[in-house]
Amino acid sequence: MSDYQSVSASAKHNRIKQSWLRTLADSDLTLGWMFCLPFLILWAWWFFYPFIQSFTQSFTDANFTALGRAKFIGLQNYVQILHDKEFYRAVMHSLEIVLISVPVQTLFGLLMAILVNQKIKGKGLFRTVFFIPYITSQIAITTVFMMLFKKGTFVTELFGWFGFGNVTWFADTRYALLFVSILFIFQQCGFTMIVYLSGLQEVPKDLYEAGEIDGASIWAKFRYITVPYLRPITFFIVSVSTIGGFQIYDQIAAISRYGALGSPAGATNTVVTYFYQHGIRYMNIGYGSAAVVLFFFVIMAITFLQKKLIDEKG
Amino acid sequence: MKSQKSIGLLITYLVIIGLGIVFVLPFLYTVYTSLIPMRDVNSLVGPSHWSFGSYRKFFTNEAYNVPRWFMNTVIMTGIVVLGNLVINPMAGFALAKLDFKGKKLIYWIVVATMMVPYHMILIPVYVNIAQIGWMNTFWALTVPFLYQCQYIFMLRQFFISVPSELIEAARIDGMTKMGAFWRIVYPLGRSSMITVAILAFAGTWNSYLIPSTFANTPDMYVLVVGLNSVKDLFFENTPLIMAGVMLTTIPILLFFFLFQRQYIEGISSSGVKG
Repeated sequence: MSDYQSVSASAKHNRIKQSWLRTLADSDLTLGWMFCLPFLILWAWWFFYPFIQSFTQSFTDANFTALGRAKFIGLQNYVQILHDKEFYRAVMHSLEIVLISVPVQTLFGLLMAILVNQKIKGKGLFRTVFFIPYITSQIAITTVFMMLFKKGTFVTELFGWFGFGNVTWFADTRYALLFVSILFIFQQCGFTMIVYLSGLQEVPKDLYEAGEIDGASIWAKFRYITVPYLRPITFFIVSVSTIGGFQIYDQIAAISRYGALGSPAGATNTVVTYFYQHGIRYMNIGYGSAAVVLFFFVIMAITFLQKKLIDEKG
Repeated sequence: MKSQKSIGLLITYLVIIGLGIVFVLPFLYTVYTSLIPMRDVNSLVGPSHWSFGSYRKFFTNEAYNVPRWFMNTVIMTGIVVLGNLVINPMAGFALAKLDFKGKKLIYWIVVATMMVPYHMILIPVYVNIAQIGWMNTFWALTVPFLYQCQYIFMLRQFFISVPSELIEAARIDGMTKMGAFWRIVYPLGRSSMITVAILAFAGTWNSYLIPSTFANTPDMYVLVVGLNSVKDLFFENTPLIMAGVMLTTIPILLFFFLFQRQYIEGISSSGVKG
């Protein structure tokens, strides 16, 4: 009897306790924070804190070998970077990669999207073929292209017909940057195609039909229906590709055999290799961080500028 | 009119096949070169010369430990994918279906973080990892990457589309909200979860910058980093390196062919890679 009573009492107690806990755990406030907590902890630890550090350390002479002795030096790192010829060269190289690759991959991506959007045989296969470089390791693709663009291969000879020298492209200071741009184009076209394709499929069919009734040519339909419809997508693609172009690293690391990043002879030095070289290889954390902060503002400025340009044109 | 159409079709085929050749050629070159002996590189030889010798050599070479690199890659990728499949959906669900103080702030954090390139924090993360003694450990390769704001954003979009009545119905049946999430809403999002899994898988498997910075001793290399060092060491042995390229990329290609539809949907809906 007493046994039974105590069991029942504790069960009752449990139920009350459980329901109290349950109500608390079931409230949106508790559950919301509970569900966001793992993300927030990792974010604060591995994003927000380092993000702040990037700024604060850029005003110090922090060095990896003597972290405790870092002292505040104001804008000295920034002044030094802005007086470094190598930095300007790196910025120019980054710009060059972006200016070569972004227009080409946007146009080719659009062309591919239009092609695989036609009623033709094997379009699924072509879509896959164009898309595969995007999901493949950039180190792997660069490795293959390095073999293809060596002196005397059929690829370099083919390019020779268009006036390019028969040289090992990635080891030649004239061609190395173009080589990196080609790699970036090869990788990015598939992505551009997929994004354009989703846009093309949303253009209302009756717009084209109305155009046909008015006797519009294929070109007129493309120019006055497709292009305006794709404008927001184009903005998205150009922004993503530009930012991606500024961030290129794998391809450059892969062609810099043994040598310093940005081989040959600094011909592929970009903003990214510049800060990586200084901040991580040479361990000048303060100096490298200052370069990163500049890089960050450059990217923000370009995104802003592009948005403004495209809005004005539209 | 009809002939104009057929000329248009002919041009379409010519252009698409031409582009197709440009894109397939490097792949065919890789497959072919990985199978032939070194002396036949850059010349065409028949199948009687072909063998898997370079693959065996790549895998069993004594100068480096490829099976170890393979394991490292599998462990790193596995942990990151699992983490992303737990942490992101929870946050995404909270932001989509729960109403709580601070939600706006968290949403703002997710959106703002998405726009910052990882390069921005690479140096301090590197220093912090070194200071807590995580250099050359799996901790460094996985813990900072267990969540991804792009995926939280993507999953939030998906959870918004789940009818709230479903959760209400589950609660009437006696489930807690947490129970309703794990047992009803989460399984419902299967295809979104697969998209996140594929994006995280490809992004992690292919990553070079992070593993080459946070793990730089040969026994902690992942495949991509290892491939790059083999390439530098044995640059003249093209078949060996092409075999390495094949072994590094085949798992990704297999995964892609299995889940192509979800992958492409994921890309076109969010425009994010790994």
